[in-house]
Amino acid sequence: MNVEVRLFGPLAEQAGRDRLEVSVSGTTVGDVAAAVARALPGLRLDRAVRYAVNTDYAEVSTPVRDGDVVSLIPPVGGG
Amino acid sequence: MFKVTPEPLSLDAAWAAVRRPDCGAVAFFVGTVRDRHEGRRVERLSYTAFAEMAEKEFGRIAREARRRWTVGEVYVAHRTGLLEVGEASVLVAVSAPHRAEAFEACRFVIEELKKTAPIWKEEFYAGGGKAWVSSEGPEAP
Repeated sequence: MNVEVRLFGPLAEQAGRDRLEVSVSGTTVGDVAAAVARALPGLRLDRAVRYAVNTDYAEVSTPVRDGDVVSLIPPVGGG
Repeated sequence: MFKVTPEPLSLDAAWAAVRRPDCGAVAFFVGTVRDRHEGRRVERLSYTAFAEMAEKEFGRIAREARRRWTVGEVYVAHRTGLLEVGEASVLVAVSAPHRAEAFEACRFVIEELKKTAPIWKEEFYAGGGKAWVSSEGPEAP
């Protein structure tokens, strides 16, 4: 399955782009994150990075379905 | 009631959104761009957001505030784009029957927002240089 991934803030800056599509054989957020790490090996995906499926925070174990958008959420700084 | 916008924030809009006959108190919080951060002189900030998710998150935080306190309306607006020193970056307004709930719920909303809303701040310093600054502190450059 192909999954659309969005990058934000410092991650978008590091990657030089704010979206990409990855091909995933697994079915969870963790599988998508691993595919992003393979596609963009310079990206710092440490434990501070959170994930969202569509517009909700998700865990690495959260299932990803066809058509979902997975977002990588680096530490936030609103306010 | 919940918005992420590149337009300047309006206290009048917040006031119009939260005032109610059954509420005797309205608390406002306005976050503004400060001219220094950890000893460095800040010239301007840039905020970017995952707007659709941030607005949903504001709604979730407001629901949690309603669960904890008796409040009337909750309004949250966050600015995006380039902001100069002194400009308002975030505006929270909460109406409640009484002031204690209004103050406490308003405080809760801004504190939660800083922890969870998908919004990112980049500081630009006098003399050059910039850094992403999260609620937990500055990122390594």
